[in-house]
Amino acid sequence: MRIVVAYQWACDPQEALVSSDGKIDFSRAKPTISDYDAVAIEMGCHLAEATGAELIGISAGGEAVATAIATKAALARGLHEVFVVSDPGLDSAGTLATAVTLKAAIDNLGDVGLLLTGDSSLDSGSKTLVAVLAGLLGWPCVTDVMKVTMDGDSLTIERTIPEGIQGLHLHGPVLVGVTSDAVKAKVPGMKDVLSAGKKPARVVSLLDLGVRLPGEGEILSVEKMAGPSRQQIRINTEDPAQAAAELVSALRAAGALDA
Amino acid sequence: MFGLTDEQELIRSSVREFSEAEVAPLAAEIDRDHRPPLETIPKLAELGLLGILIPEQYGGTEMDSVSYCVVIEELSRCCATTGVMVEAHSSLCTWPIVHFGTEEHKQRYLPDLASGVKMGAFGLTEPGAGSDAGALATTARRDGDEFVLNGQKVFITGGGYSEVFIVFARSTEAPGTKGISAFIVDRDTPGFTIGEGERKLGIRGSSTPPLMFSDVRIPATNLLGREGQGFEIAMATLDGGRTGIAAQAVGIAQGAFEAAIDYAQQRVQFGKPLAALQAIQWMIADMATSIDAGRLLVYQAADLEDRGIPHGIAAAQAKLFCGEMASAVAGKAIQIHGGNGYTEAYPVERAYRDAKITEIYEGTSEIQRLVIGRSFLR
Repeated sequence: MRIVVAYQWACDPQEALVSSDGKIDFSRAKPTISDYDAVAIEMGCHLAEATGAELIGISAGGEAVATAIATKAALARGLHEVFVVSDPGLDSAGTLATAVTLKAAIDNLGDVGLLLTGDSSLDSGSKTLVAVLAGLLGWPCVTDVMKVTMDGDSLTIERTIPEGIQGLHLHGPVLVGVTSDAVKAKVPGMKDVLSAGKKPARVVSLLDLGVRLPGEGEILSVEKMAGPSRQQIRINTEDPAQAAAELVSALRAAGALDA
Repeated sequence: MFGLTDEQELIRSSVREFSEAEVAPLAAEIDRDHRPPLETIPKLAELGLLGILIPEQYGGTEMDSVSYCVVIEELSRCCATTGVMVEAHSSLCTWPIVHFGTEEHKQRYLPDLASGVKMGAFGLTEPGAGSDAGALATTARRDGDEFVLNGQKVFITGGGYSEVFIVFARSTEAPGTKGISAFIVDRDTPGFTIGEGERKLGIRGSSTPPLMFSDVRIPATNLLGREGQGFEIAMATLDGGRTGIAAQAVGIAQGAFEAAIDYAQQRVQFGKPLAALQAIQWMIADMATSIDAGRLLVYQAADLEDRGIPHGIAAAQAKLFCGEMASAVAGKAIQIHGGNGYTEAYPVERAYRDAKITEIYEGTSEIQRLVIGRSFLR
């Protein structure tokens, strides 16, 4: 049985520059494995070690996702091999196109008992992929997952819900969305990096998989939502009590607090 | 066009992630307290950073020199002390054992040095023999199957916590540098004592105590290389060490540069961020250009070493340029911070103090100029 981790290769928002007018510049941000998916890979490593299962990474994207550095970065995190769907048509793929492509990759691999992924995306922050992909696969889907244990195709899962921690038992195949703090993603060690290039990396196109991307509509424009204007409240005192009093007074004057 | 390989880029990415999570949070504290970050050693070992220059068969990661420089640069970007801990251990202790040690030396010492069970140091400098290393006075008298060491070393990086020392001593009557031999000395050898660490201007977390040898008996088998080969071993070791220190200087400069950019973009004066002022933009441009130039000199020296081409002059050029560059860049970073940069509240003050040593240790800038100048005037 195989454990598969879907991961995203995208620009690291921590390297983006935010200018004083609020514009975000990604031009100098290097691509990386999504922090969210790195946690899913780490969880996959623990499960593969405990069960002896094969651990395969899958990813979908434009040319960048198939570069040697992208596949080695994923393999250095402990995956046994990667299966990458690379196509210019996936450069700006939305959730549906990505999910359709990943479903085709899963179908191609076969014998998948558990599909893990981070529960959010690095670029858009969308949390919809897990549900859409599970729907296409016809698999149960569990999100906000903190812990998974496996015994054959039997899975015990803990996830966070508003009331606390919910324990679940179900049989695979299952798609699991892992929370960003489920486990600590290990920094790849030097031996992991140096051995990554020796592991298998398969790259296929949409044509190879026989995938036709669905229409996702056309983005006409993106406009920044204007927030409330700054009130320019300035407090010039070293005395904390006086500062608090001035702040309360200013907030009352602005109508933010009851008089 | 020069570029790092995929593996070298990934090594940079890993070490940066590690440094920001595990090294940077301690940097100000260990500087303030003048204490080595010993708690980081097992973490460095787990990542494979203590066996960089050690072959795989002895537990190391056996990385190329360019990768090694990338590691030292990234560690030093967050903490110059941690950078030099790894640099001295690797370049100055593990490297000479790998290149001049017997099979028995390698099997006995390298696995523990690669795994961080033991750290290593290099004892060359003496009170009367700094830049003039050939003037060292420590002696090693042959007595049957042993050598007996007497003398003193100073400013020994990592001396406070290291277990394995490469020690240089005069073992024959041959004049000048020809009488010098290299030895491996274990910390627990009777008669070998380690003094109190110096309190320094910068890299304050780095332990640099004196070593005292009083009738220290070591097996003759602990001779590293041939008798009388010590000076050659020291100079060959320092060629690699100089590239490592140049990489440390690039890292210190890069850290100060990034801090200056952050500050220039956030600090508002005259109604706009400092970064909008041309005077600041020019300083940023000069800093960026000199850091890139230094980095390329480092990679050139390391690449020559990787290809087995003599790299002593390139290493000297890298160390000379990068040491002085790091001090200049850190100085400009303080200037951009204004009064704030002169306080301990901002990291550029520490970078300025840390940078200075890269003009001094493992060969002063003056010695580098001597080496470079003579090479063109032979």
